[in-house]
Amino acid sequence: MVEESVLTDDLVRQLINVGEVDILVGLPTHNNARSVEPVVHAIQAGLLQGFPRERVVIVNADGGSRDGTPDLVTGASIDDLRRSYKGYALRTLHSISTRYANNPSARVGLRTILAAAELLRAKACAVVSPESTGMEPDWIPRLLRPVYSENFDLVTPIYRRHKFEGLLVSNLVYPMTRALYGQRIREPYASEFAFSARLGSHFLAHDPGNYDSHGSGAELELAMSAITGGYRTYQSFLGTKSQGEREGGDLVPAMRRTVGVLFSSLEANFAAWSSHAGSQPVPTLGSESQVTLESIRVNRKRLKQMFTAGVAELEPVFRSILSSTTLAELQRIATLGDDDFHYPAELWVRTVYEFAASYAKSVMSRDHIIQGLAPLYRGRIFTFLEENRSSSAEEVEKNIESLCLEFERLKPYLLEVWNTKK
Amino acid sequence: MPARLDTLWYKNAVIYQVHVRAFYDSNGDGIGDFAGLAQKLDYLQELGVDAIWLMPFFPSPLRDDGYDISDYTSVHPNYGTLEDFKKFLEAAHERQIKVIIEMVLNHTSDQHPWFQESRSSRENPRRDWYVWSDTDTWYKGARIIFLDTELSNWAWDPVSKSYYWHRFFSHQPDLNYDNPAVREQMWTLMKFWLELGIDAFRLDAVPYLVEREGTNCENLPETHAIIKELRQKLDHEFPGRMLLAEANQWPADLRPYFGNEDEFHMAFHFPLMPRMFMGVKLEDRKPITEILQQTPEIPPSCQWGLFLRNHDELTLEMVTDIERDYMYDSYARSKAMRLNLGIRRRLAPLLDNDRRRIELMNGMLMSLPGTPVLYYGDEIGMGDNVNLGDRNGVRTPMQWNGGWNGGFSVADPESLYTSLLLNPVYGYQAVNVLSQKRSEHSLLSWMQQIIRVRRSTPIFGSGLIEFLYPANHRVLAYVRQLGDETILVVNNLSSSAQAVELDLRRYKGKIPIEMFGRNLFPRVAEAPYLLTMGPYQFYWFRLRRI
Repeated sequence: MVEESVLTDDLVRQLINVGEVDILVGLPTHNNARSVEPVVHAIQAGLLQGFPRERVVIVNADGGSRDGTPDLVTGASIDDLRRSYKGYALRTLHSISTRYANNPSARVGLRTILAAAELLRAKACAVVSPESTGMEPDWIPRLLRPVYSENFDLVTPIYRRHKFEGLLVSNLVYPMTRALYGQRIREPYASEFAFSARLGSHFLAHDPGNYDSHGSGAELELAMSAITGGYRTYQSFLGTKSQGEREGGDLVPAMRRTVGVLFSSLEANFAAWSSHAGSQPVPTLGSESQVTLESIRVNRKRLKQMFTAGVAELEPVFRSILSSTTLAELQRIATLGDDDFHYPAELWVRTVYEFAASYAKSVMSRDHIIQGLAPLYRGRIFTFLEENRSSSAEEVEKNIESLCLEFERLKPYLLEVWNTKK
Repeated sequence: MPARLDTLWYKNAVIYQVHVRAFYDSNGDGIGDFAGLAQKLDYLQELGVDAIWLMPFFPSPLRDDGYDISDYTSVHPNYGTLEDFKKFLEAAHERQIKVIIEMVLNHTSDQHPWFQESRSSRENPRRDWYVWSDTDTWYKGARIIFLDTELSNWAWDPVSKSYYWHRFFSHQPDLNYDNPAVREQMWTLMKFWLELGIDAFRLDAVPYLVEREGTNCENLPETHAIIKELRQKLDHEFPGRMLLAEANQWPADLRPYFGNEDEFHMAFHFPLMPRMFMGVKLEDRKPITEILQQTPEIPPSCQWGLFLRNHDELTLEMVTDIERDYMYDSYARSKAMRLNLGIRRRLAPLLDNDRRRIELMNGMLMSLPGTPVLYYGDEIGMGDNVNLGDRNGVRTPMQWNGGWNGGFSVADPESLYTSLLLNPVYGYQAVNVLSQKRSEHSLLSWMQQIIRVRRSTPIFGSGLIEFLYPANHRVLAYVRQLGDETILVVNNLSSSAQAVELDLRRYKGKIPIEMFGRNLFPRVAEAPYLLTMGPYQFYWFRLRRI
């Protein structure tokens, strides 16, 4: 039987024409015609600024756009037929595009980019979101230079964010990843990142490739592959990330892509996360975090309502997932009024860890487990917003750090519930 | 028609550049001479060249390798006599080899009697033959060309206590072309050589003839007017003779030097040369196609002079800063290899003595639109000596055999005009004409073959060019067309094997015949024409409908 390849014949033909490269920038798209052009131009300018002599290619992995996105990407190629481009390219700057499916999948998109990078023997590869319209050209060298010149294997970004943006990351993904794997990577689930050839090849070789069933979250898996595989990680401060780029859409799908992947990783990586405590900083270019304080509208009342309703409606589900102590405490705080409501960090960490253990044991449909966590997360966010309503940037950082330390302190509890569940 | 064709001889010629001093010493004084050069004409005829371009051989203090002339109507005693020159010229013509000589219009040596008179007093009748000033503040817009040695384009003359203008070395004062007597005198000098029978002049440093305040003193309309005047006289009195411009300028600035077929017949395409090296190093055709896209059309009787290397440094004046940095890092990592804004190295060392790259570069030289100019010794892959000063490292004696002084001279080695190359890679015992003549696979034999193939058709010299743009940017492909004849040229600029698909639908039904081996390739069809190419490989296909 002929093994199915993510690379179409057309893509292979394009890769032959491009040939070996030093740098590859992947651009996964799906109907991004409205935003992709400035992103491509920023990538091009960044490549010309940062890597004027290197052989470079932009690979667009498109999930079946119907708005002409791929044409916009390839139309921006700087080759010997385009002399009007204001930047100066020493050599041809290739842009190629491939359509991998009629069904967009971040995992297939990433896998296509990884495969192209491996075939073209790219020494350093970056992935950029087509929606990062605020992207500056220097993001490209900031992401790629540590890989290309300093032999790092994974570079994740640090963005300048509003204190109430990226809450899923700051309240769950970052602290839990840090506690589990011991590295303080602020954006383990990033829309922009860079990786080395060896990390890309390692991930490609070990990725199960079940892209239909997995959905997405491959970016986070790549980060965890790097951490657990002993690859060298690095962080680069990029700048302002436009509001809502990554948080767009419903919470549950976002949690599937992040929390689901994180929980899934526990079983495979048990040896890695169970053997150590604490965490270490990651080498970082620029500021380790930047928080802005301009006003932002959040409907906190609704968060609390959804928490309260969730705790009541999902009690049968929670009985299978949570310990009786934790459930009782959640039910207690659900009765509190808005002014008195407080979802303490310790209770939140225990909640998350118990969900993680249940997820591994598959006490029920994993999707239901993630859905069950959503209202509880909203309750925790209500408290976070309340606690930080008047906080300065430094105070917000301090609170996030406290939460991280709580995740680290209670890690033995995760081991305990993990073993109990087994 | 035949007469008309003959006047265009330069369009389909292969020119060989040589310094008399460096080629062959017939009298054992350690310096090459005209009698020696004449003895080696059979070699050049076998190589297949159509014309010899001689570097300056006039009396000179030789502070700039003869470009500082002190007498325009004689031969430097080192190289023989005027009689020797005439004999050489006659022998060359007997072999149907044309002779191109230098004419340095812009400046003389400061030892030239004209300058000695000019500086002697402000009242001297020749005072106005040079450009004098009481201050050094004029023409600030003019760049300094020899950055490594000169701080200003003005030099103080302690004799006449004023400044004189010089665009090159300070011992080379510029002539004043605003003076009609100077213009008339220079034409008289040119006539002297034309009447002896030389076929063409390579006019040195043409853009700088005239100075005007508020300009960069290059390519001025007044300079073009002077060229037009010379061309008119040449066509009138010596039809069929040719003027070749040395004007290191961007293509758009070069175009006016062809005028309306009333200035130069030929001009060197300086910006193309470094980009050919760049294209091979980058493994990308972009630098080459880009500069040729920027190259304007020239009148039908005019021609570009193409070269890979010459007696000067590989000039990087006509590249951007980023390109110059790249070229230095790629081809001149050692500071000793750099001079002014260029690289003082020969072809073979520049290409790491890689035979495949040397062949590829020569293949492009011979097939791009223009007349190829070969630099002596490059046909056998001679090396250089960057330890010699200025540009002397690429002007070492021709290596004829592995014996005494490389067969160049019977003089004591210590009395040669400069030292021979002795190192085990490029020394005369490793690289010489005799040993390469014995091997049909030597670089010399290959050069003879490619020149023969080029000369088998006028298409390379006179045909149109159309670039193909295959998606594989490591491949440079173009079609040359002249009348019914079509030649497809495909160059792999990459160090690795490449597959390339060419859109040849326009030539559907034609059969490509590889011009070196004369082998047939599959007939061109509607589908993209697939070629696989080895590292640095190139093909010349004659597309024939059979």
